[in-house]
Amino acid sequence: MYQIKRTFIKPEMKITDLFFENPSLLLMMEHFDLNFILNNKTVEEVCRDNNINKELFISIANLYNGFLQVNESNLGIDDLNLIIKFLRNSHQYYINEKYPEISSLIDLVHQENDTPEIKLVKKFVREYFEDVAEHLDYEDKTVFPYFLSLVSPEAEKKSATNVSVKIYSEHHSDIESKLDEIKNLLLKHITLKNDRKLRRKLLLCILELENDLQIHSIIEEKVLMPLISKVELHHLNEK
Amino acid sequence: MKNNTLHVALIEPSQIISEGLTNILLKSKQHYHIYKFDSLLEIDSSTVKEKLNIVLINPSQLYINKTDYYHYFRKIIPNAFLVGIIYSFFESRIMESFDAVIKISDSAENIESILDKLMKSKSQFRNNFLSEVLSDREKDVLVQLVNGNSNKEIADKLNISIHTVVSHRKNIIHKTGIKSQSGLTIYALSKKIIHIEDFAAY
Repeated sequence: MYQIKRTFIKPEMKITDLFFENPSLLLMMEHFDLNFILNNKTVEEVCRDNNINKELFISIANLYNGFLQVNESNLGIDDLNLIIKFLRNSHQYYINEKYPEISSLIDLVHQENDTPEIKLVKKFVREYFEDVAEHLDYEDKTVFPYFLSLVSPEAEKKSATNVSVKIYSEHHSDIESKLDEIKNLLLKHITLKNDRKLRRKLLLCILELENDLQIHSIIEEKVLMPLISKVELHHLNEK
Repeated sequence: MKNNTLHVALIEPSQIISEGLTNILLKSKQHYHIYKFDSLLEIDSSTVKEKLNIVLINPSQLYINKTDYYHYFRKIIPNAFLVGIIYSFFESRIMESFDAVIKISDSAENIESILDKLMKSKSQFRNNFLSEVLSDREKDVLVQLVNGNSNKEIADKLNISIHTVVSHRKNIIHKTGIKSQSGLTIYALSKKIIHIEDFAAY
């Protein structure tokens, strides 16, 4: 469940202790494509066994623990593949897990409350998810392959991209602000019947999504984009 | 969670002070999101500008070459508190422009409580003056917005200036937390400000 503890994660800490403290780290493990059987290993050991840059792993884990600052200076071009895998996996989580979950909760709300405003909320949410899915699809199919092509050995050297950090962050702030609206409408403004359990479930579900989206944006803006700028600069200098 | 997070901009040229202060804030009970900037100008062009609750600034960055950037600050970030980071002598005129100051001798607990008090004073302010209930005039503007009218059209219909329309719109967004037209429509319906029969697009 969604939760934030304030332990600042360090390499020598036991990873399962950290999971008990903040279960949303399990979601992070999923995004990293890592298994949970860890036999009381430390963070450092898990990274070594899986051939992951521990600076990257620890930075992202600390985002999940609520330390919203990343230092990308210890990350290199070699980390790009993993970062993109992480982001792609989180896209799958939003589209295949979170959005259906929220939609079906709203359907339940609709069953109990057949009012015009709930119908409109359903439409609003559906359109929102469609927009987001389109954006994520664009990232998966266009942006990420381009980034990967920059670091692949046989890459033709491209000079610049029109994918800018600014466009990125605008997209994201829109994704986050619409979600905020949905939250405000459903939990603050609209009167519902028989709503206690449903509202609790909806709130938790939306908060989980919101938390992961926030971390997602930070990774894209503070880790991925600076790294891409580095790669592009590197290519330019080679020319 | 979002509402408990305080968004803080930090403008401090000394790396020791800037890193130290960041660490103190990150370790405190309050949840901070810290953004570092080199200057006020940089904040102006940043997308986080509207989120900021507090701007921590070295006074030397507010008064550059005897030019006073205080009014500029108030213009670009009217809703944030301005907190000075003080470790040398500044004229009282300068000190007066801050809502609070952090001194180099302050302990971590002190710093925490200074910022805490500051935010509490703000939430009292908010409770008193910005209730979440829309005023009648704001409701009028909301109805026009929901019907898809532009600022200019609203101003003409309600016989008010465009400037007033814009400020009503800002208040509506602030009070409801809703920006988009479809979101506002749902809000207006659920609060019975409009009725489904009046709403053609449905």
